[in-house]
Amino acid sequence: MYLKSFDSSYSVETILKKPEKYREIEKFSKESKKLITMGSNYSYTPLAFCKKSLVIDLSKFNRILSFDEKKKEITVEAGIKIFDFLNFTLDYNLWIPQLPGYPYISLGGAIATNAHGKSCGVDGTIRKSIKKIVLYHKTHGWLNLSKEENKEIFDLTIGGLGLTGTIVSVTFNLIEFNFTDFLTIKKKIYSITDSINNLKKNYKDKTFVYSWNTAHDIENFGKGYMFVNTPKKNNEKIQKIKNKHNNNFSFPFCLWNRLTIQIFNEVYLKLLNFKKMETEESFLKVVFPFIGKENYFRFFGSKGFVESQLLVPDAVLTIFFDEIKYLCKIYEPSIALFSFKNMSGEQRLLRFEGNGTCVTFDFVRNKKNLNFLEKVDQLCIKYKILPSLSKDSRINENTFKECYEESEIFKKKLINFDKDRVYQSELSERLKI
Amino acid sequence: MNYLIVGASSGLGRELSYVYAKNKNNLIICSRKEDDLNALKSDIENRYKVKVTVLVLDLTSQDEVEKKLTSNKELLKEIDGVLFPVGMMFEKDTINLDVKKIHELISANFSSVAFIASKFISQKNEGTITMFGSVSGYLGRNLNPYYAAAKRSLESYFESMVFVNTKRNIKIQLYILGYLETNLSFGKKLILPKGSIKKLSEKVYKNKNKKSKKFFFPAWWTVIIFLLKIIPFSFFSIFNDIKKKND
Repeated sequence: MYLKSFDSSYSVETILKKPEKYREIEKFSKESKKLITMGSNYSYTPLAFCKKSLVIDLSKFNRILSFDEKKKEITVEAGIKIFDFLNFTLDYNLWIPQLPGYPYISLGGAIATNAHGKSCGVDGTIRKSIKKIVLYHKTHGWLNLSKEENKEIFDLTIGGLGLTGTIVSVTFNLIEFNFTDFLTIKKKIYSITDSINNLKKNYKDKTFVYSWNTAHDIENFGKGYMFVNTPKKNNEKIQKIKNKHNNNFSFPFCLWNRLTIQIFNEVYLKLLNFKKMETEESFLKVVFPFIGKENYFRFFGSKGFVESQLLVPDAVLTIFFDEIKYLCKIYEPSIALFSFKNMSGEQRLLRFEGNGTCVTFDFVRNKKNLNFLEKVDQLCIKYKILPSLSKDSRINENTFKECYEESEIFKKKLINFDKDRVYQSELSERLKI
Repeated sequence: MNYLIVGASSGLGRELSYVYAKNKNNLIICSRKEDDLNALKSDIENRYKVKVTVLVLDLTSQDEVEKKLTSNKELLKEIDGVLFPVGMMFEKDTINLDVKKIHELISANFSSVAFIASKFISQKNEGTITMFGSVSGYLGRNLNPYYAAAKRSLESYFESMVFVNTKRNIKIQLYILGYLETNLSFGKKLILPKGSIKKLSEKVYKNKNKKSKKFFFPAWWTVIIFLLKIIPFSFFSIFNDIKKKND
């Protein structure tokens, strides 16, 4: 089976098995020395496959195993996709708030990458909603993981990039969500400092705060808009999210370049200028901003893109951006997307989590931009900034080691648990985990 | 309405369970492994608010099937229809298969199905029986010969049941299946495209009250099977000899 990472950085012909029964997970796991589990394969980086590992596709494990409305607790199989999960829980006005921006991602994948949503400044990452995990490991068999049982493996598994075994089912603690829409307030921003100042204001609970910035004009670097989404209720129910098949189509060549990015940014800015200051937006549009905008990624063409998502400690945010601006003047990178949001939590092991500001850049994959990104990697090491391993498929072993303080602890604990290092992906090979 | 789905834990059986439950029917789901059945039961009950009963049944053992049906005498009386989306195969099913495995294949794909169907028909005056054959049963083959033989037996049994059943209002249907998007065909490069099990399940549900009939799915197999039937067997025999010589 031919598999390709979402950012098109890596593709390979490999063996893929699609179990449908519990005993098939056991059976297929015996068929290869090296394994890795796949959810929906929407991860930007190749963390669900590599040449030497047999891929266990868990998409048929998408069932609701138990639901207790009173306890606000649900157990689902890890292959269930976010849209399917929400279509069920939202009927009971319940959800988990830490959801990635695309609803066709599997919950198992979201756990393996310790996904965060737009509200990660308030709600943290998905780790906070997980009560229990059932893991299958080729050597250890079926394991129950929680804070009370196999705690160390539980910790390694959340954000563990699928390297501890196959996450088969998960129990979530749900929280109430009695809203149907969002009130979106936009605010024009003129610079990076303006963005940061607005981001760090005290907002009400349950609001999503994020920005869309431009980077094509060095004189107005960071110009854009700030958005604040506050949930609100109307009489209608939240529209059910429809299923969609994974479409791997991409244009043969890249449509994004300095000129098209500049045109797009200027047009989009003008459109936002004309838009009302306050608008009502649907749940779907706010929580899953990438629905219907898939062409944005296809426009990067067959060579794909690079997304650099960085968790920057607030103390170094200003100086980091001074250096970024300076590098932009020298390297003139083509940045297609640039955005800020708040993050909270505790950074441990391989988790992209911590207190600070989450900065996202999307780049066209070309030599000039890759050179620029190498310099950004050096800044990450210098300022103890955390690059997201699941977003950026360029990150090398050195940057990983320098930026992730507990990388060696993770490795040691993993080897302790799994001496044969059964579960491996391109990502784990590249980072020498 | 209550339906018994034999072989419900995966593939077509699992999809049929969802389609019947979505249409507010209670289900009794059967298969070999309780854990898979319990997961399916829980999912269906949570999503569709219908009653699902689990019955662990190993079709490869006729003794077990007989015992289970005897100890659950009321079971068949309560149900309005029975479906047999069963298709058991061994990866190394060749003409030299050992006798135990031959028995298991014949039992799972034919004799257990026939036994349950006969019990249903003897206790009910109305209802539906839906069986699933295979295009592999139309011509002898090198791979899966026992599976193919069992499926051919099933077709013959279906025809007999239709003849016997004239006085009762029991709708008996047989779907002759070509390649489907199931685990059995996953990753295999096949000459013809695979049929969608979702579309098939919806078709089965829609047709459930139609008169006793044979259906081909995907429909293009109707033409292929027609051609297979009109070409004399000696032609295939000669063709096979030539192929062997060339190999």
